[in-house]
Parts: sequence; C-alpha cells; structure tokens
Amino acid sequence: MLPTAERPAAAAAPDAVREPDAEDLRDAARHKARRRKERRVAWTLVLPTLVILVLALGYPVGWQLVTSFRKYGLKQQFGQPPEWVGLENYKTLITDPSLWAVVVRSIVFCIVVAFATVLIGGLLALLMQRVPRGPRIVLQVSLLLAWAMPVVAAMTIWIWIVDWRRGLLNWFLVNVGFTDAEGHNWLAQPLSFFIVAGVIVVWMSVPFVALSIYAGLTQVSGEVLEAAQLDGASGWQRLRYVILPLIAPVLSIVLLLQLIWDLRVFTQIKMLQDAGGVANETNLLGTFIYQLGTGKGDFGMSSAVSVVMLLLTIALSWYYVRSLMKEEAS
Amino acid sequence: MNARRIGNAGWSVVAVVIALVWAFPVYWMLNSSLLPNAVLNESTPRLLPFGGSLDNFKVVLDDPGFIKALGVSLAVTLITVVAAIAIAFLGALAVSRFRFRGRLGFVLALLLIQMLPAEGLFIAQYKMMSSVGLLNNILGLSVLYAAAVIPFTLWMLRGFVAGVPAELEEAAMVDGLSRTKAFLKITFPLLAPGLVASAVYAFLQAWNEFTVALVVMTEEQSRTLPLWLRGFVQASATREIDWGAVMAASALVAVPVIVFFMIVQGRMSSGLVGGAVKG
Amino acid sequence: MKKFLGLAAAAAAAALALTACSSGTDAGTSTSPTAASSADNAGKSITLWLAGGDTPDELRTYLKTAFKAKTGADLVIEEQSWGDLLTKLTTALPDAENTPDVVELGNTQAPTFTNVGAFSDVSDLYQELGGDKLLPSFVEAGSVDGKQYALPYYFGSRYMFVRKDVWSEAGVAAPTTLDEFNAAVAKVATDNPRDIKNFSGFFIGGQDWRNGISWIFANGGDLAKKVDGQWQSTLSDPNSLKGLAQLQAIYKTASNAPADAKDQSPWLYINDADVITDANGAVTGKTKLAAATIMAPGWAHWSIGDLKTVDGKPVREWNDKKFGVMVLPGNDGKPAPVFAGGSNIGISATSKNQELSRELLKIIFSPEYQQLLGKSGLGPANLDYVSALGDDEFAKALIASASNSKLTPAAPGWAAVESQQLMEEFFGKIKDSTDLAALAAEYDAKITPILNQQ
Repeated sequence: MLPTAERPAAAAAPDAVREPDAEDLRDAARHKARRRKERRVAWTLVLPTLVILVLALGYPVGWQLVTSFRKYGLKQQFGQPPEWVGLENYKTLITDPSLWAVVVRSIVFCIVVAFATVLIGGLLALLMQRVPRGPRIVLQVSLLLAWAMPVVAAMTIWIWIVDWRRGLLNWFLVNVGFTDAEGHNWLAQPLSFFIVAGVIVVWMSVPFVALSIYAGLTQVSGEVLEAAQLDGASGWQRLRYVILPLIAPVLSIVLLLQLIWDLRVFTQIKMLQDAGGVANETNLLGTFIYQLGTGKGDFGMSSAVSVVMLLLTIALSWYYVRSLMKEEAS
Repeated sequence: MNARRIGNAGWSVVAVVIALVWAFPVYWMLNSSLLPNAVLNESTPRLLPFGGSLDNFKVVLDDPGFIKALGVSLAVTLITVVAAIAIAFLGALAVSRFRFRGRLGFVLALLLIQMLPAEGLFIAQYKMMSSVGLLNNILGLSVLYAAAVIPFTLWMLRGFVAGVPAELEEAAMVDGLSRTKAFLKITFPLLAPGLVASAVYAFLQAWNEFTVALVVMTEEQSRTLPLWLRGFVQASATREIDWGAVMAASALVAVPVIVFFMIVQGRMSSGLVGGAVKG
Repeated sequence: MKKFLGLAAAAAAAALALTACSSGTDAGTSTSPTAASSADNAGKSITLWLAGGDTPDELRTYLKTAFKAKTGADLVIEEQSWGDLLTKLTTALPDAENTPDVVELGNTQAPTFTNVGAFSDVSDLYQELGGDKLLPSFVEAGSVDGKQYALPYYFGSRYMFVRKDVWSEAGVAAPTTLDEFNAAVAKVATDNPRDIKNFSGFFIGGQDWRNGISWIFANGGDLAKKVDGQWQSTLSDPNSLKGLAQLQAIYKTASNAPADAKDQSPWLYINDADVITDANGAVTGKTKLAAATIMAPGWAHWSIGDLKTVDGKPVREWNDKKFGVMVLPGNDGKPAPVFAGGSNIGISATSKNQELSRELLKIIFSPEYQQLLGKSGLGPANLDYVSALGDDEFAKALIASASNSKLTPAAPGWAAVESQQLMEEFFGKIKDSTDLAALAAEYDAKITPILNQQ
C-alpha cells in the first residue's frame, strides 16, 4: 500500500520544486474563474427542474411521509385530529403475512415482465434498423397505435379477448382443435391471471422501449459499423462489442424504468381483478396500496406501504445505483 | 449479395407480421366501434365489421362534452410537453456536460422521485391544489404533469446527450465555434431522436393520465378526455354499457396522439438528423 | 343595471310560479318569506353530484327548473361515475371550499360516510320528507344513533328472468317455494331439453354474491349483526349455512357458470340462438343459448329478447312467448328477501349552502319528483309512490321483490369489505368447498375486524 501511495507524490516532486511564475498564477486564476462560471451555468440549467419538482411534489411527498407515522383514516380525513403513532403502522405491516405475499408476487412479476419487455423491445429495435424504410414505418406506426390506445379501451379489448365465453382466444383455440378450451376461464387461477396480465403489460410497454432503443441505435454511426464489418466482425460481434456499449446508457435507463414501473403496475391489474380475478390472491403493490387507501380509507397504512415500496425499489435498483455512483464519481 | 437481399425481404416480412400482431387490439377497437351493441354481445366474435355503421361515432361526436374535453386535454398536454422537454433538456445538459458539486445528489433525487408510488399521493395533491386555488385549473394540472414526467425525460435525455461524444463538440470548438454554437450545430441535431422519443412519452403520459385529473379537475367543464371517456364506461339503472360507443370514443381519443407523432417525427428526425449527419 | 333587472324579473317570475304551486296545497301560509329569500338567492348556485347515469335527463331538468323556481338559485348537476365515486367523495367532501352541496352515493357506501360525519343531520326534516314512508332499510343505512343523515334516493331490486319455453320443455312448473325453485332449476339443467353443451338451469356466477346472498336471507340468515355495539360477521350462523348449502347445491347441479363470474351481463346467456348473417345473407355466426334462468336487476329486460333490426340497428325485443319474469319465492309464502340496490342522498356537512341544500331535498322528496322516479323505472324512496312504477310484469316483479328486500350491513367498515372483494372471494370458493362451515368461519374471522373499523 505505502509504495503506491508515495509514488505520485514523488513524481510530482520536481514540479513542486519549481517556483510558480506569474503565468502559472494567471492560469490558475483563469481556471478557477472558469470553474466558478461553469458551476453557475450548471445550476442555472438545473434550477427550473428543481423549482417545478419542489412545487409539485414537495408537499404531497412530505404529507405521505408524515402520514405513514400517523393513524389517519377516513375520520381524520373528515376533520378529526390525527394521532401520532410512530412506527405502529410499519409494525402492523411487517408482521402481516399478506404484505409479504404481495411483495414477493410483485417482485417476481416485475422482474419477469421488465426483462421480457426490454428483450422484446430491443429485438424489435434491431429489426427496425435492419429493414428498409417501408416495413420500418409500418412497424413503428403499429407500435405507436398500440401505445396511443387509451388504457380503458385497451384493457376492455384484452378482457374481451380472454373472456371465457365469447373471447377470441378460446374461439381460436377451439377452432384449431383444442376443444377443451371452450369456456376455459383464464382469470380464475392466479397463475394464468398473471400470465394474461404479463402479456398485456408487455404489449403496452414494448412500444416505448422499442422506440427509445431504436432512437438510441440511430445515434450509432454507420461508419463505425461498416468499419467493424470490414474488420471481419460477425453480426453478433458487432452487436456485442460495438452497438451494445454505445446504446448502454439508453438501455440501462429503459430497463431501470421498466423495473420501477412494473413494480407499481396498477390499472391493468385492477381492471383484470374487476373482470374476474380473486383480488386478495392477485394483488400487487399498486392495487394493495389502493385497496388500503381508497378502498378501506386507511391512509396511514397505505402511506406506510408506499414508503416500504419506495425502499423496496431502491433495494431492487441498488446495483444500478451503485454502478451509477461509481461512474459519476470517476 | 443475393443471399443478403433475400435476408432483407425475410426480415421485412417478419417486421410486417409483428406489426400486424401488435396492432391487432387496435384493429379490434376499430372493428367494435363500427358494430352495434347487440352484435358485440354475441358469443361468436365477428372478425369484420359487416353490417357496421358510423352510428357509434355519431353518438360520441354529438356529445357536447367531447369538444370541451378535447380542448382541455390539448391545452394541458401541450403545456406539459413543451415545459417538460424544455426544462428537462436544460437539466440533462447540466448533468451530462458540466461537473458541479451536488450533481450526483441531484441525479439520485430524480431517480428516487421516479420510484414514488403515485397511488397514495392523490389526497395530498388535492389538498395542495385546493389550498392554492388551482383546482380545475389547466395550468395547475400541467404543473403536476410536468413534474411527473420531467425526472424521466431528464434521465432519458441525459442518456442521449451522453451518447454524443463530447469530442465532437470539442473538435468543432477547435475549428473556432463557440461552445454554444458547437452544441447547437453538432450535438443538438444528434439528439433529435431522443427529443422525439421523450416528447412522445410526455405527450402520452399527459394525454392518458387519469387519477390525478380525476381528483384535481372536479368540475364537469374542466374534464380531460380520459375523464370524459370514463363516462361512457358505465351501466346505469336504465341502460347497459354501450361498448360500441366506448370504442368509438377511444378511437377518437387516440387520433391526436398519432397526429402529434407524425408531426414531431417528420420535423425532427428527417429534417434535422438528415441534414446534420450528411452535412 | 340591465342584468340586475333581469334577475329581479326572474325572481318575480319564480315567486309567482311558487305562489301558483303552493296556493293549492297550503293556501293559508304566506309565501312572502320564500319570495324574499329567492331574491337573496339570485346568482347563487349549489352543486348536486349524481352517481352514474341512473337519473334520466328529464328528471335532471325537472330538478333544475323546480329549484330555480323555488329558491331563485341555480342548481348545477354533475355526474360522477360509480367507479370513481369513492375517490371523489374522499377528497372533495371534507373541503369546505369545493365540496358539492348534495351528493348521491351507493346505499352500501352510505354507512361509511355517515359514520365519519360527512353529512349534515337532517333529522328535523325527516318527517316532512316522508318519515316512516321512506324505505326503512335505506334510512337505517344513512342513520347513526337514531339521527338521520343520508336518506334513500331510489331503489332497484333483483328478480328472475326465465326461458318459459325451455322450462316447459323440461316439464317443470313454476315454483312457489324456495325449495321448489332449487329443485326445479336442477331438473332443468339435468334434463337439458335442447342438449346444449355447458347448459345451466340457473346461471349464477361463482363470485356473484349480490344475488347469492338471497339464499342466506331466505333461510333467515344474515351477513352480520350488531352485538353490544360491535359488528359480527355471521356467515357461519346455522341459518346462513343452510342457505349457503343450498347455494352450493345450485352451483354444483344447476349452474355451469365459472367460479369467478360476477353479476355482469348474465342476460347474454338466456338470449336465443340467433343466426347472424352478413350483407350477402351468408351465415357468419351464431349466438348460443346457455341458461334457462338468470337473476338480474329489472332493467336487464331491455337486453333480453329476440334479435330484431329496428331502424337498421340490431336490438333485442322482448318476446312474451319465450321469456318471463318471476320473483324468487321464499319458503314462507312471501317473496324471498333479495339484495336491494340503490342510492342514498345527503347534504355535505361542510357545505356553505345548508339552507338551499335542504330546499333541494324538499324538491327531491316531493310527490311530483317521487312519481317521476317511479315512471323512469326507479323505485321511489317514498313507498307511497311505488304505484308510479306502472303495472306491467316488470314493475310488478320489482315491487314484489322489493317488498321484502334487504341491504348489506350498516356497519362502518362494510364498504371496506366490499372494496377488498372479500365477498367475491368467499362466494367463489363455495362450489368446491368440502367443509362449508369451516370456510364460512374462516371468512367470518376475516370480515369481523374490518366491519368495526372506522
């Protein structure tokens, strides 16, 4: 340890011996001034973001945090003074086995769906790059149409598709020979419920992922790829060593966001539950919070779950956050 | 050469097939929007809108609430998109092109905000907007939306800015351009795809958002399109849900998104990118 | 100045209209106080939240006009969708600056909001608005400690829609007791006279607890009771269990509905096999008859019948030869108690327009409006006016089934039980349960603590 630590100091020694002349001092001063100016510019650029976030989120987030330490039900919402209960809500939560079932379910669902989404989205992005303009635009427009479809309509259509009686899915299966599929009920069992939910969520999220990754791919210059090809790199090698590193920033943010969003997926699960699933066996964190808050009117507890969920998300993305911090610190 | 061309054709077919599969629910929405309710309730799905008509669209367009909601939604969404993209873009520049103390903290805070579960926030959001008198206010809702999409757009744009090597800019600066000019001439055009993706994202978020709008836009005349659409999706004591009308309304709600995408895509990617990269 | 004159003129006209109305009923009382107040009220307005589209447009117009005429103030009606009502009531009702003044809410939501003090006490108006004539179970849902807060708005009820033709092909006569009904639907299902795959004698979804609880009620059971001020879930009481066992038998022998089906659109299953043709007359599809009996709210009859084309549009047209209605019979000769749907209505406690809101309640509970409700097919809150529903078979079935209808428990936590879908879950498990008593006890243990939380 010691020798390595000493070496730079030793190397710097000759410089330190030299007397600083006027030019050096001016350089240093100019450098300092530039640094200060840079910092001022940077903060000016960041300021609007800070202002709008504090304005819109400061109070709600603070309220949620405070409420998670209070007994806050519908009565309190209607004017009774809330009672401070410290960690009571958290204690109740952590000792409630149904919370842990929901947590495990949410994590598994979120990881499977997020990776599937990014994988499929990435492949579609590569496909878009591979094909000529015509088919590419067809694919882009189709993805965009799916993305633009209002959630209510999209969910209604999907629920029709998997409906046990008049659903297209069963109708199709029966017609290709699986007669057992007649009247089969896809939402009754939690496993098939989550498969249906997963397919729908992937279908809804892929357009965003594919279009974003494709946007990232267009930044990869054709010359680099051509050069790699001339050097004899195979398609896979080009993807692995040239394309992937270049789009890594976009890829990682998209994956991270999918993880975050899929962990708190709400509307799709809620509507499928309304269509037939058993709520308490198919709850994910989003619907769980909703049930506690809006449904049961227990806002103290629902705030506590929100905070737990936040911690959980941080834990899930810890690897990413750490590598980010390293990268930023270097 | 020949094998390669066949490969291209093959991939094109794959792309078109995937496109068809992906858009199928959209087709099903349009198909249903042309059929009357009695037909939609049958046990055998009807794959083509035979016997269909535009009646459902007429019902929807005759609803006086539609134009009003369209106006509110357009205003809120456009304000949100412009504000979010502009603000997030500046922030992304600061984060990826400048080094300053607090930068890491800022970036992490943005990430954290992304992770906040929204389902529990609406009560506090209502209280806040009510106390400052911004309920039923287009600007108020836009501020909430902008705050909701900025963390993401900033992160996304940061990725794109980082994707443009700083050396390109530096080379231009060596050629005598100022930093600002170098940025505008070299980096900005390369960011166009990222800006488009972010803008489309912000547009869709603001356009389709439901819960916050439900809570904050309490009056009928300040409803956004998703709130208006919701009105169709309910049965009552004297009528059942008119699914054909719901689908027609949904199709109408989706149209402006497509239009927006076409405009943005055409302007930015072909114009700017094409010019800059080639020139 | 011009505006002021206009308002004054409107107020004068309203006063005249009022005098004209009231002179018939109570000619002795002076109208001047109201006239004075209507001048004061000019330019004011109150907001009424109606839930869903149940109140038809003509009734809304009537309310606005009558309110303007009576008070001089404007009535703004805003429709809230049922699915979002809970969220909106939770945020807006406590906010004095933005609260709606009068709100309609579901009868099962009424106890929760009444218990937290969301509504103003209207006990002093209760007699004037109808008193004992108002539907008692609904009044109870909106009362705390003998004081009335949220009053009934309208009620609906559930009865049976049957395929007369299929029943007679199976050789089964119309039942007159609950036991006969249970046996009859099982026989129709096993006979399956038309040899239809997955045929149900009585189609009732596994999670369809709103219809299923009729069997609990009909056997003298209940969902919950109040003991020493505490609510207890009573699914495992002997009488409830008796009903649940009958229901299980129906699930097993008479119904082929899936275990997770709820009460949405059951009428699809008793409509006939219609051949659908395309523009060229080629057959493109068929609907299937799948059930001989369903239980549904009265308005379902608009969706039941033969497929006809009216004005170029396919619609369902009721056919008396094929279809009939029937009230679920009890074993005591009376109709079985069924779950009554409907709404309550109350004045927001934070409203700054308490007086005007009370005037609106007076209009809503006036004979004219109660009759209008009945004519629109909604059960009027004041039972004196049920005759306004008419005398066709649907109205008769509605009145008969409502005469013995029941509500879900008026416990403060009942809305929470519903929102957690515990009843759906419990009923969904009945069919395959090998030990009903244990299952019922398990859910009693889950539900009781929730019932008492506020």
